[in-house]
Amino acid sequence: MKPRLGAAFLRLFTAQASWNYERLIGVGTGFAAEPLLRPLRADDDARYRAALGRATRYFNSHPYLTGVGVGALARAECDGAPPEQIERLRSALAGPLGSIGDRLVWAGWVPTLSALTLAAVAWGAGLRAVAAFLIVYNAGHLALRWWGLSAGWSRGARVAGALQAPWIRRAGEILGPVTALALGFALPLVAVWSGEAFRGWARITLAIAAAVTFGLLRWRPDVLSGLRLGLVLVVVALIAGIVWR
Amino acid sequence: MLGVFAWGTVVGLDLVSLPQMMLARPLVAGAGAGLLLGDVAAGLRMGVLFELFQFDILPVGATRYPEYGPATVVAVAAAQVFAIPFGVGLATVVGLFTAMLGGLSLQVHRRINTRAATVAAPALDAGDRGALVRLHLGGLGRDLVRGAAVTAAGLALAVLTREFVVPALSHRGERLLSVAATGAALAAGAAGTLRIVGRGPGLRWLALGLTGGIVAAWLV
Repeated sequence: MKPRLGAAFLRLFTAQASWNYERLIGVGTGFAAEPLLRPLRADDDARYRAALGRATRYFNSHPYLTGVGVGALARAECDGAPPEQIERLRSALAGPLGSIGDRLVWAGWVPTLSALTLAAVAWGAGLRAVAAFLIVYNAGHLALRWWGLSAGWSRGARVAGALQAPWIRRAGEILGPVTALALGFALPLVAVWSGEAFRGWARITLAIAAAVTFGLLRWRPDVLSGLRLGLVLVVVALIAGIVWR
Repeated sequence: MLGVFAWGTVVGLDLVSLPQMMLARPLVAGAGAGLLLGDVAAGLRMGVLFELFQFDILPVGATRYPEYGPATVVAVAAAQVFAIPFGVGLATVVGLFTAMLGGLSLQVHRRINTRAATVAAPALDAGDRGALVRLHLGGLGRDLVRGAAVTAAGLALAVLTREFVVPALSHRGERLLSVAATGAALAAGAAGTLRIVGRGPGLRWLALGLTGGIVAAWLV
């Protein structure tokens, strides 16, 4: 089974390639689960096809935790669980896998390491900081992906217990403050580093532009985004820069 | 420039499809482009700037967001192509338009995937392995083309900007543009930070971090 688990693990890296509005990450889930379902084909091709058909249905998950669903659903199929139970398992997993992943990775692990890297670059660490970011981030990333697939495959329909593991709760509790601390630490360093290129009127204008833009972004976050406001600001500055010779 | 184009394509693919190892993060994308072009300092400068813009978005589920990875690669290349003092401002203009284009292309990619999945639905539901592999790898291939197209369009925009805008821009004007770009990035980074931290106890930790950061900045 090890080679098939390895194949499923590698396929998980492409899980979102066919992401679509109908099945979300479902097609990618089926693609990753296929090697794990192959033993069914040797016994009964109809059962394999039915299981593969179910594996590609609607599924939602954080991409790094898709392995939990892939492993659990494939294991349940191999264990001969009834289709209704497998559908219930799919529905039950979709919500938590999305919210846990978003909280731990997108709102925790990524911004924390990004902020620390920004601070390190501002401090003069240069490329070493970026290399360290890639290594540390992906150590966590790969470990999470492998844990997810292993937990799903070993527990099958009882995978819910793995999602209640103390380390997940603890990681969430720790990452919240650490992320806030790292972001807060990085901002002044980056602001000073970015402002070093300017002198006199330019530095004062930079402070005013940043403060006004920040105020606008906080005032109407529903309408204004960093990209929209940034584009408006630079286009206005571009026109002024052409006129002001 | 061929290396930059290839790097932009890889970065575009990394964001969603393969392998999501944060190559698409502006800091990494910018550093990589800087290495390729022999100007690491410019790569890091643009990387930091777009990383701050990146803080403004949380790529959760089906949300629509700009794509800052290839945009950063293009901006680093643009900064070098322009070869003017400061240069950050005009390169940011090119990068932000590329980011917007990248975001739009992601939506188009998802819509094409949806159409392909609808067509393949009967075969998928019947457990047709061939149809599943074709559909999935088709999405991967389209995303590769998408990343290449966004990077190419961004580089073309950089060339057009060099031809038509650089000659019209005064030194003072470029400095103003750099100020605006840096100010917008800092504001986006600060606003994004508050969104990530949210309300409640996180704010206390943020305040503590800010204090530490101010002291560290003063010491440096």
